Amino acid sequence: MAGELKLVGGYPEYMRESIEKVHATRARRMEEGPPPAMSMEEREEVLKFHPDYAPGGKRPLKVGPNKGDIAPNEVAELLEAYPIVDPGELDLSVDIDVDILILGGGLAGTMAAIWANEEGIPPDRILLATKLRHGDSNSIMAQGGTQAADKPYDSPVIHFLDAYGGGHFTNKPDVLRALVEDAPFIMKWLTELGCLFDRDENGEFVEDWGGGTSRPRMHAARDYTGMEELRVIRDEFRNRGFMLLEFYPAVELLTSPEGRVNGAVLWNMETGEYKVVRAKAVVLATGGFGRLHIRGFPTTNHYGATADGLVLAYRAGAVLRDLDTVQYHPTGAAYPQQIVGLLITEKVRGLGAQVVNREGEAFVYPLEPRDVEAAAIIRECYEREKGVVTPTGMRGVWLDSPMIEEIHGKGTIERRLPAMFRMYKRFGIDMRADPILIFPTLHYQNGGVETDPWGKTNVEGLFVAGEVTGGVHGKNRLMGNSTLDCLVFGRRAGIAAAEYVRKLPEPGAVTLGHLERFVAELRAAGVPEGRRSPILLPDYRGKRVLARMVDLL
Amino acid sequence: MSNEAKAFIAPRASHVARHAADKSPSRVTRHALPYFPGCALKDQARGFERAAQAAMERLGYELAELPRWNCCGTVYSLSSDDLMRHVAPVRNFIRVQELGERRLVTLCAMCYNTLRRSARFVSTDPERLQRINAFMDEEPDYAGGVEVLHLLQLLRDEIGYEEIEARVERPLYGLKVAPYYGCMLLRPREVGIDDPDRPETMELLFEYLGAEAVDSPHKVECCGAYQTVANPEIARERVLEIVGAAARRGADLIVTSCPLCTYNLEHHQLSVPGDASHVTGDKSSTRHALPVTRHVIPILYFTQLLAFALGAPGEELGFEQAAVDPRPVLAQRVGG
Amino acid sequence: MGQEIMERIREANEAVITGIDDADIKHWVTIYIMGKAYRVPADITLMQAIEYAGYRFVRGAGCRAGFCGACATVYRVAGDWRLKAALACQTRVEDGMFLVQIPFAPAEKPTYDIETEPAEGSVLLKYFPELARCVACNTCTKACPQELEVMDYIQAALRGDLEAVTELSFDCIQCGLCSIRCPAEIVHYHAAQLARRLYGKSLPVPKHVEERVREVEEGKYGEEFERLMSLSREEIEELYKKEQREKGGLGSRDASRVTRNGQGEG
Repeated sequence: MAGELKLVGGYPEYMRESIEKVHATRARRMEEGPPPAMSMEEREEVLKFHPDYAPGGKRPLKVGPNKGDIAPNEVAELLEAYPIVDPGELDLSVDIDVDILILGGGLAGTMAAIWANEEGIPPDRILLATKLRHGDSNSIMAQGGTQAADKPYDSPVIHFLDAYGGGHFTNKPDVLRALVEDAPFIMKWLTELGCLFDRDENGEFVEDWGGGTSRPRMHAARDYTGMEELRVIRDEFRNRGFMLLEFYPAVELLTSPEGRVNGAVLWNMETGEYKVVRAKAVVLATGGFGRLHIRGFPTTNHYGATADGLVLAYRAGAVLRDLDTVQYHPTGAAYPQQIVGLLITEKVRGLGAQVVNREGEAFVYPLEPRDVEAAAIIRECYEREKGVVTPTGMRGVWLDSPMIEEIHGKGTIERRLPAMFRMYKRFGIDMRADPILIFPTLHYQNGGVETDPWGKTNVEGLFVAGEVTGGVHGKNRLMGNSTLDCLVFGRRAGIAAAEYVRKLPEPGAVTLGHLERFVAELRAAGVPEGRRSPILLPDYRGKRVLARMVDLL
Repeated sequence: MSNEAKAFIAPRASHVARHAADKSPSRVTRHALPYFPGCALKDQARGFERAAQAAMERLGYELAELPRWNCCGTVYSLSSDDLMRHVAPVRNFIRVQELGERRLVTLCAMCYNTLRRSARFVSTDPERLQRINAFMDEEPDYAGGVEVLHLLQLLRDEIGYEEIEARVERPLYGLKVAPYYGCMLLRPREVGIDDPDRPETMELLFEYLGAEAVDSPHKVECCGAYQTVANPEIARERVLEIVGAAARRGADLIVTSCPLCTYNLEHHQLSVPGDASHVTGDKSSTRHALPVTRHVIPILYFTQLLAFALGAPGEELGFEQAAVDPRPVLAQRVGG
Repeated sequence: MGQEIMERIREANEAVITGIDDADIKHWVTIYIMGKAYRVPADITLMQAIEYAGYRFVRGAGCRAGFCGACATVYRVAGDWRLKAALACQTRVEDGMFLVQIPFAPAEKPTYDIETEPAEGSVLLKYFPELARCVACNTCTKACPQELEVMDYIQAALRGDLEAVTELSFDCIQCGLCSIRCPAEIVHYHAAQLARRLYGKSLPVPKHVEERVREVEEGKYGEEFERLMSLSREEIEELYKKEQREKGGLGSRDASRVTRNGQGEG
């Protein structure tokens, strides 16, 4: 039931003309190589087409520690919003008392638990609470790899330089240094736990190029890198017997009368009951905000990526940074409609596939930093009018995936990109034979809660790790540094929280004092009363149903 | 496979065995035989397989492991009213069929018994076969006709003991060997490879290898099988009887054809404390509450002794995994 | 101009980000969600259809991209006796589909200390003795939405072949459909996880990784970092551009010529 459209090899017949041009030009393009990388001046010019730089998407914050700083409208709406629970109605008697409460069940949260335990905090004094299932996260979707400068031709210093330049020299240098210096240890530790990174015939790690890297240092596990890393450390987590609450998002943090973070209010999404958890330290590892669909972009992110942690931390007084930039991944799926926005890993370009317009012309060097690459694709589609229009009105350009097998031999795609091959096959497209249509997609929250090299924030008792943090990537993250970020700073936050807990005799009384102050600030700034956050989940229900919905029970 | 390769692995015409001519008309084009290892030979008993490969190579054969084989099915005893239990063996027969082959060789008595019985079960009733095929709708239908062989049958009936004798490099002169069959090779009678009461397949084989076969009254009795898990005393009692009888008759070695028998014989004979020459048997048993003597004899798999006699080097014999090292007695009798 | 382009992009994506509007739909099918009939747009995923019908997921949706296994779904299509299994986020609706999601697979995972367990196949049966109950019925394989040869890896586990289990189970997303359907009540995906970890830990950490870890621990890069951080923005930009240009002499600007192990040919 594909409608009136006749599909040929999974594509509408009208797209075939353009696909033929891609086939026809392939040999010549391979011979010539891709266009040269842009100069700094050319990069600046094309970035005008990036959603971050196009006017209209951002505004200054009216309240809170970052008052006056610029943030995307969608994020500002949530930061300038009233709590979803009424502070006056909550009974704050404590249900669960622990040493460390970890919020978030991706790579960062799981690492924090394991490493707090390694530092001597017993598993029954550590509670991990997560909104969906343990593992439902952006981490598990990471395909491309994890960067670690462990080859003789490479060094942590060069890794630093690549990430620093990629981040437009806005990264916090001490935090970035921790990221790159810990990376080889993380690879060693994961391998000893039984994590399987791709290896060659000699048992050596296969290490690939990534956009913006000057050395190949990407460690992948087929194109299931994040999944492999996560399922291994989750298994380890389960073996150690930590406390776990699933479908229990935090809806507010709790603070002591002195202003230390000392717990959270968790909410059972299925029964509606809340639990008051008191903890000596809280590790916030709640991930990013892709499901806010900044500027109307589709997203690669998981269902729960709704900026909850950002909102909670901000109300507790945490300083945020670099929220003015958002990472759009250059290559999200643009066709078929069922998978619009899903990630087409950078590894596809790393393996040699070129980005090609409707006429079969390669128009951009395939491994520019992500913002530059994305902007070039938007310009090609909307200014130069050389994109392919899909049946639902989207535009995209081709990613010439058949080149991969021309370069690396038959079977490479199934072996090294099995997840993607499988996904396209499910929708009738053979990416070995035909190119795939792509367009930038909302991918990553570059900024977040400002952290030091040990996951500490400006608020005592509050530690952070992973995508919710700001500083390590500056204003643009490189491929392969997000899983690494979660692994490095999840570990560091776990260690730092354990150290903090050992020195703190008592968590103190739990209050929502910070919330009262924040609400007063909202009122003073004239924020409309009806606006609430965190939102916990996006809403994709059909418009017709929503228009006729009544709540009777 | 190239013709050259075929020529290489096919035995030369002069080596046609005494029983084989009528049974195997395709001898000249014979090639690698589909081989079913079973789980024991892939895990605990790897040495038995290594020895078999070494021996067969010396006899001009290749045991080619069946692709995508699954469990023979013995984890559940086969029953005639539950077709589900024949799915595993039949799936293996489909793999043989996919190779364009008709025969499947195995070294393990348990696998042999299960596979052979299942092959019989489905081929004697087309309706059963049809229902199993209908259940496995993701596989091509099994047409029937795969013949399951134990390696001993292949040695005896196709290659022939005279041919084997001609290839012996280390004759086992002076060695006293007690064959032990257990149950699975001989019972039920329809699938047995020899007379269930008076088998002589292994006796003859070892005599052709130069050894003296020691007959023992318990050679076709049960070793205790899986009782070794839940009621180890039962297995222990059986084993002490079996080993004791062979030892009293002067055997240097006991040779088996089943990995589970091997395990039981090896381990239970060692359960008698070494310092006690007279240990009372299990009082809870109604039978044979007699004093037992500690006898410790090496237990070998038939493939190991065969490979040894055919001159296979030490690393291919798997002796190192034996609980009782056979090398001293072999060195003493045969000269290693 | 940029702002106008952004508005056009927002418009093109509306159905994906705010829910489907009937006015845009030309073709429809009928599906049955837990027995109730719903008319939904043709050509959307099961997940999109369930949402279109008015359900808001709490369970049953995770990554929405085929990696997490949260949206395991079983269904039959009118006229076909087969019970099929799929991921709701990766499967197109078909007319006459009867479906239900399996939001949770009850499955106990034994706990073990991976450090002390030897990398041997027999460890699998120690923790998962029920593996021996496999009758090779292949129902698990038929239920796998990743199209893995699940029964084959259980058979490999049974004979202790860790490498084969690893290879065959690697793309497992642990959705639990195999275990829900298994007549022998095996928990396939947990057994496979243990097998992969045992196999993984048997592979040595490459020497250059060990070496680099030692170098960092010994503070080998401290001085270089300090020098780097003392540079002016212009100096550090210059250094960055140089590295990007030269790519350490390993590769060229030609990404298409980069070989598998990253050694440039150009």
